[in-house]
Amino acid sequence: MPEILSDLTTVAVLASATMVPITLASVGEIVSERAGVVNIGLEGIMLLSAWASVVAFLIGGAGYLEAYMVGGLLGLLLGLLHGAISVYLKGDQIVTGIGLNIFAAGFTVLGTYALWGTFSNSPSFQPMPGIAVVAGVKVSPLVPLSIAAGVAAWLFLYRTVTGLRLRACGEDPRSAEAMGVNVGLYQLAAAGFAGLMAGIAGAYLSVDYQGVFAKNMTAGRGFIALANVAFSGWNPLVAVAGGYLFGLFQAAAISLNIALQEEAAASLINATPYLATLVVVVLVARRGFRAPRWLGRPFVKE
Amino acid sequence: MAAEPRPLVEMRGIVKVYPDGVKALDGVDFDVYRGEVHALLGENGAGKTTLMRILYGEIRATSGVILVDGRRVSWRGPWDAIRSGIAMVYQNFRLVEGLTVEENLLVYLSSLGLPRAEARRRVERVVEDLGLSVDMDAPVEKLPPGARQRVEIVKALSGGARLLILDEPTSNLTPLEARGLFKLIGKLREKGVAVVYITHKLREVVEVADRVTVLRRGKVVARVSRGSEGFNEERLAALMVGEVPRPSSPASRPLGGEVLAVKDLYVAGDDGSVRVKGVTFTVRGGEVLGIAGVAGNGQEELVEAIIGLRAPLRGYVEVLGRRVRSPRDFYEAGGAFIPGDRAKALSPELSVAENAAFIYYTASRALLLRPSRLASLFDKLVRSFGLKAGGPSTPVSSLSGGNQQKVLVGAEFMRGFKLLVAVNPTQGLDVATAAFVRRLIVEAASRGSAVLLISSDLDEVLELSHRVAVMSSGRIAGVLARGEATPERLGVLMGGS
Repeated sequence: MPEILSDLTTVAVLASATMVPITLASVGEIVSERAGVVNIGLEGIMLLSAWASVVAFLIGGAGYLEAYMVGGLLGLLLGLLHGAISVYLKGDQIVTGIGLNIFAAGFTVLGTYALWGTFSNSPSFQPMPGIAVVAGVKVSPLVPLSIAAGVAAWLFLYRTVTGLRLRACGEDPRSAEAMGVNVGLYQLAAAGFAGLMAGIAGAYLSVDYQGVFAKNMTAGRGFIALANVAFSGWNPLVAVAGGYLFGLFQAAAISLNIALQEEAAASLINATPYLATLVVVVLVARRGFRAPRWLGRPFVKE
Repeated sequence: MAAEPRPLVEMRGIVKVYPDGVKALDGVDFDVYRGEVHALLGENGAGKTTLMRILYGEIRATSGVILVDGRRVSWRGPWDAIRSGIAMVYQNFRLVEGLTVEENLLVYLSSLGLPRAEARRRVERVVEDLGLSVDMDAPVEKLPPGARQRVEIVKALSGGARLLILDEPTSNLTPLEARGLFKLIGKLREKGVAVVYITHKLREVVEVADRVTVLRRGKVVARVSRGSEGFNEERLAALMVGEVPRPSSPASRPLGGEVLAVKDLYVAGDDGSVRVKGVTFTVRGGEVLGIAGVAGNGQEELVEAIIGLRAPLRGYVEVLGRRVRSPRDFYEAGGAFIPGDRAKALSPELSVAENAAFIYYTASRALLLRPSRLASLFDKLVRSFGLKAGGPSTPVSSLSGGNQQKVLVGAEFMRGFKLLVAVNPTQGLDVATAAFVRRLIVEAASRGSAVLLISSDLDEVLELSHRVAVMSSGRIAGVLARGEATPERLGVLMGGS
């Protein structure tokens, strides 16, 4: 019994650690999509920020906090870039997002080689120390912060006039503009916020969670976040739960792998969190959640 | 409305030349007083909407001045106008569908810098003042057009509007909703709100306006006040169109052979219920058969079965002896179709020429699209059908409704046909264009084509048809020959007795 209990605690702690990047990216993306801008480049932004914050930490001599700031700032800039291309240049949001992903995948590998002479990963380092929550169990401060971010985003979207105006942009930018909302500005800001959150998520992965930058270390988390956005019905509170769900599946998979020590089964087990999350998304998406009407379409004024 | 010394808004010598050189307005003077309903009457393209967009700050006049309360103003955009108390209610409304009524009002009023509590108070006052009932928590998408329009009016007035511009306000309303609107306009007048009523519908002008300014080709051709001579539909129609349109009527000449045969047809609707219940009729070459009836009595399903879009449960449709099982059969047998809903036949983002070509080549097996052919299609639309469009590559979405209809109708007529199935072919058209389309239909029949005309406009059916069939609850309730078809007798049949 005590062994199972400690196993469960391990899984729970692991789940709370693995939920963070998905949750952060989902919350940012929900705000962005509510304003009408979809960014499928979350994965790329996460990866670039994960890489950049390790570079700042290992080579730039930055502390953990500064490394986080570097990751977040890069994410913000990339989000703003995506926003500007989408909003002001009326570019195709999907194409821009794909571009970000492909660029990130290539650039980080090349950058890793240029700095450390190997294509696979940076040198490892001690990850950021956690803070104690209950009875000596330590987690990253980003765990409570990511939950707080979800709550704050919900309050913003549904309990402030500014949030209401932002939602109007994603539903019907033409009417919003006619009602005096500066649609372009809202969409740009929202896209920047999504980038910022994805950037922090990336920094978390490398600096806080694993203490290394490894090739393609985001491993599809950006896409799972996108699925989670839809699954949550564009509601940040549900998205936190969705992030935790993925985290649980992943923690279970990691524990199972350690327990089984079976090389062949590992790939299959590693795939389960993704599959399970997708299944849940498909099941829940049938319940008639509605996407913002103008999602992903550039708003061209007459 | 002459008692007041100074108009609320005055526009003097307004000229608007668009970048492409089109002169939309040529020295227009216009004014509105408090508590006055001023109709702005004109055909599509006469410049009435352009004039009001200038007043509303959406576009700038090339020259001319605007005075509000006697002071000269110059708008940088609509928000300058809104802050001065001028608000526009668009034909298709500008409300965010995914949000509730209250949320919409809040978005608008927060743009005016009103805090939430103040916004709520103002809305309550306006709603109470006008004696309206508005469900604040209803999502806008669930509201019928009439209710959306009331929300727009509440929105404008709680934002401090003193002048409301209503752009073709009844175009999306049911007759009952329209009556509600007229009553509301009466209340606005009592409260001293000025209303500009943009329309091309003569009956409405006579019903609601205190004064009417008639625009034709960018110029004011007349100003008529209620009570004065000439404030009636006939006179205003003449002013608006320039000539009173002559009604066309079908020529009586010997009819040709049977073109369309519908035999014992049963058709199911989308919900699976039987909507057409045993309909049999034929249309011969040179004949116009009108189908009258209250919308929703199976006309839609009947038409879709005739053009091969909906498989019948029983019975059949033949065009010139060929069984119709798909739209391809229908078109290849020589059929042409004008749907009641333009949006179903045109691709808004494609160009005028592409849309025309798409219709023109419907039954063709041609492989290549030659640019020269596209250009000539466009030229013909302009020359023969009076299309007004920038050029062959102008997207259809930027055309007015009337011109879109010309593309649709023109392309079908250029293609040539032996059978025309037309559903509300003149819906939303201005008087002159509608008369033109009716003349085309009559001419097609006199050249030997068969025409099936399904229209909710009883006058149109009576004017054009040799015979009128009345549809009621999925059946043909009766067929009347021209001459015995009077609105009264048709009305009895429509009622289903």
